[in-house]
Amino acid sequence: MSRKTAGTRVRNRENDPRRAALARRAVERGARAEYLAFRMAEEIYAVPIAYVKEILKLPPLTEVPRAPADVMGVISVRGRIVTVRDLRRRMRLPESAPTRRSRILLAELAPELGGTGERVGLFVDEVLHVYRFTDAELESAANVLGSELAEYVAGIGRQAGEMIILIDLRSILGGQKAPPAPARTALAGGRA
Amino acid sequence: MVDQRDEFISEAQEIIEGLARDLLALDASLKRQQGADHELVNDAFRAVHTLKGLSSLFGVARMSTLSHHLEDLLDDLRLGRVELTARVLDVLFRAVDVYGQILAALRAGDPEPASVVDALLSELGQAISRPTGGASNPLAEYDLDPGLLAVLTEYEEHRLKTNLQQGVSLFVIRVRFDLATIDGALDNLKSRAKPHGEILTYLPSGEGGDSDSIDLDVLLASRQSLDVLRTELGGPTVSIEPVARRARAPHELPPSEPPPTQFLGSAAPRITTPPAAPEGVFTPRGGSVAQAPPSPFAGTSPRVVIQPPPEGDPIASLEVPRAGLSIRGVAQTVRVDIRKLDHLMNIVAELAIVRSALSRITDRVRGLPELRELGIELHRLHRGLDRHLGDLQSGILEVRMVPLGQVFDKLARVVRQISREHDKDINLVITGAETEVDKLIVEELSDPLMHMIRNAIDHGIERRRVREERGKPEAGTIALNAYQKGNHVVIEVQDDGAGIDEERVLEKAIQRGLVAEGEAGALLQRDILAFIFVPGFTTKEGASQLSGRGVGMDVVKTNIGKLGGVIDVHSELGIGTKVTVTLPITLAIISALVVVIAGRRYALPLASVLEALVFDPWSVRTIEGREVMTLRGSTLALCRLDALFGLPPLPDSPPPPRRFVVVVGVGNQRLGCVVDQLIGQQDIVIKPLGKSLEGVRGFAGATELGDQHVGLVIDAPAIVEDVLAASDATRLLGARKGSEV
Repeated sequence: MSRKTAGTRVRNRENDPRRAALARRAVERGARAEYLAFRMAEEIYAVPIAYVKEILKLPPLTEVPRAPADVMGVISVRGRIVTVRDLRRRMRLPESAPTRRSRILLAELAPELGGTGERVGLFVDEVLHVYRFTDAELESAANVLGSELAEYVAGIGRQAGEMIILIDLRSILGGQKAPPAPARTALAGGRA
Repeated sequence: MVDQRDEFISEAQEIIEGLARDLLALDASLKRQQGADHELVNDAFRAVHTLKGLSSLFGVARMSTLSHHLEDLLDDLRLGRVELTARVLDVLFRAVDVYGQILAALRAGDPEPASVVDALLSELGQAISRPTGGASNPLAEYDLDPGLLAVLTEYEEHRLKTNLQQGVSLFVIRVRFDLATIDGALDNLKSRAKPHGEILTYLPSGEGGDSDSIDLDVLLASRQSLDVLRTELGGPTVSIEPVARRARAPHELPPSEPPPTQFLGSAAPRITTPPAAPEGVFTPRGGSVAQAPPSPFAGTSPRVVIQPPPEGDPIASLEVPRAGLSIRGVAQTVRVDIRKLDHLMNIVAELAIVRSALSRITDRVRGLPELRELGIELHRLHRGLDRHLGDLQSGILEVRMVPLGQVFDKLARVVRQISREHDKDINLVITGAETEVDKLIVEELSDPLMHMIRNAIDHGIERRRVREERGKPEAGTIALNAYQKGNHVVIEVQDDGAGIDEERVLEKAIQRGLVAEGEAGALLQRDILAFIFVPGFTTKEGASQLSGRGVGMDVVKTNIGKLGGVIDVHSELGIGTKVTVTLPITLAIISALVVVIAGRRYALPLASVLEALVFDPWSVRTIEGREVMTLRGSTLALCRLDALFGLPPLPDSPPPPRRFVVVVGVGNQRLGCVVDQLIGQQDIVIKPLGKSLEGVRGFAGATELGDQHVGLVIDAPAIVEDVLAASDATRLLGARKGSEV
């Protein structure tokens, strides 16, 4: 498990020659989407990397009284105030205290994709690495998981014996509750 | 594309605002019966002309058509073909409104409003009444050169006649100009001559001059004596002579009605061929002079034919400095999107964080004996950075500031319109229009202020007859005052009208169940006046056309509150009403008191902090389950913020040895907030919380308090409102407070 991505910005991806090469390879192998995998409560989750703008080490958090339960607090990212949400609380996963591997993913989902357009911080226990899946490699979440979690899950990917749960960002970054997810089409999003 | 449209809108907006100012000034001069100031008419004409060009460039068709028609009207006004009356001004003011509506539609991405434009166009046709009867031609009495009269534009001729009709004397000033500096020198002459009279026209004299210089004859209309003019305008290359009156036979006069031409942008001058053959020909520019005639104004010369040079004509080329003036004026200002300034402000905030990191490093280095020299140098650099950063910050803030005059001009238009609609005579007295406020605040101010003005005219100022009976001057006065008071700007709207009838307000309040009849007696004037801010509250039976159309004082209060401002009403029956709005100067940076609550730091905007004192737990009493204390004889409701926010004490922080009460005031309500520690005053930049925290009440935003630490900014008005929610306990407290004072 490499943690090379941690602490570095994932911006200007278009200009990165390595990325361009990867994108070419992706075209050769058929359409693949890239997912950034992270660990929460001993499970591996992933979100389409296209919506992750930045990965931050944990800055001091300021708690917000009277805020919804899954709001951990606010941080300042280069002058902008960003709300940090705790996916574990949202998905009712066990919580453990932040460690030095804890990270914040800055994610943003445009309104036309069902988000609010707001840049939100998502707290994760540890950032792993990037996985690539074609649509065909993904399983529907409903087959595997209970209904409670299914609301947040776009699908399941398997690679090298690991099961990766793909999170439907609309359910987290959307204005209201996401409608029941119909299989794994645009939800997985983010082609490389 | 979008940016271009924005650019167009903001440029057009600016021109329209200028036009509105000119119209107001015209209105004022008309009221004083001074007649129309021709400079103002010219300015208005130019503004509309520019708008016409701009709008057709951007394909805003209706605006272009409207401008075209207005331009015709203003041209007629300039040339005296149409008389400037209040009715004509009405139409022009309407046009300003319609322009505003068109721009608003464009901004919203809607099509131009067709019906209003068409309505105005038809009104334009009706408003115009041509003056009757042809006045005698005063030109006949003057010894003026027919050649000169022939080249006058219609406008110049009109101005010449007007001046002569008013008995103003004519002078010819012959000045030699260096060709290299003629633009500047001519402007200089014009500005020096302006206080003494009006420059009607200027032409090359045809005499004198060489390849480097040119003699111009300037025709000046002035009431000054020749001696005064000679001392004021004279110089080595200047000669001034009066134009004599004469009594010549009318048949020698030039054609009295030269064909009309356009003043601006006329391509070729009119050439009148005199009956006899030309005896002398000169080209203007002072170049080749075949047979140099004396001044074209002198009238003693042989007949002269002025022949235009192949390219360009004397008028057009001399027109250049005039046009140049206005271009220069515009080029010195830059329009900037306020978001760009916000961006700059964010960068400054980031630099401030870098600065504090640098400060920590500096301190560390200075602590190391072996790096003493380096430490001193670093310290010096740090101080420099500190200072410049401060300058940068205040510089950016200054750019955001605009004079309140921007809104006041708009209001003056509203006053004029409403007072005419309502047939009430109103003097608007404005002071402090130069007071500066953050641009964003100015934008948000115009609606609330407009409503306050409407109220003052509709509810405040009495009808003429009533005013007479009460021994008041027939014309009502509305004073609009603005001034700076510390970190705040105060705006007052004061009228000398009927005042607010407290009895009736109270009656209505009881009717609407806002207060129980038995308790009404205990209410103070302030409490009673506060009812006018209740949504839907009105004392008028049947909403009038002006106010009472759904937007009430409650909206005004809410809007002012959003800007961090406070509104207060004072009224005396029969004498008048004064509404006072107190606003922060800027929304970008505010002073705040940083406090600690349960180990966490919060910022309380100083605008709502009245005082802070040490908390004495023994002074606390409980009234109806609410903690209160007595402060200088009156009861103060208390609020423990840690409990309100549900903050458990941090595990490693011992309870504070003593606590503090920060008294916050919003309008006339006060609340004592109990906090653990006062850290101090700090200038902060309030940043909005993200959308996901929109529903969270009690916080106005967040700010960086240094060390990467974010502190929440407490929304004092919201807290006060929540805590003192209109419960029975509050009214009880209010009544008790009243009886104790």
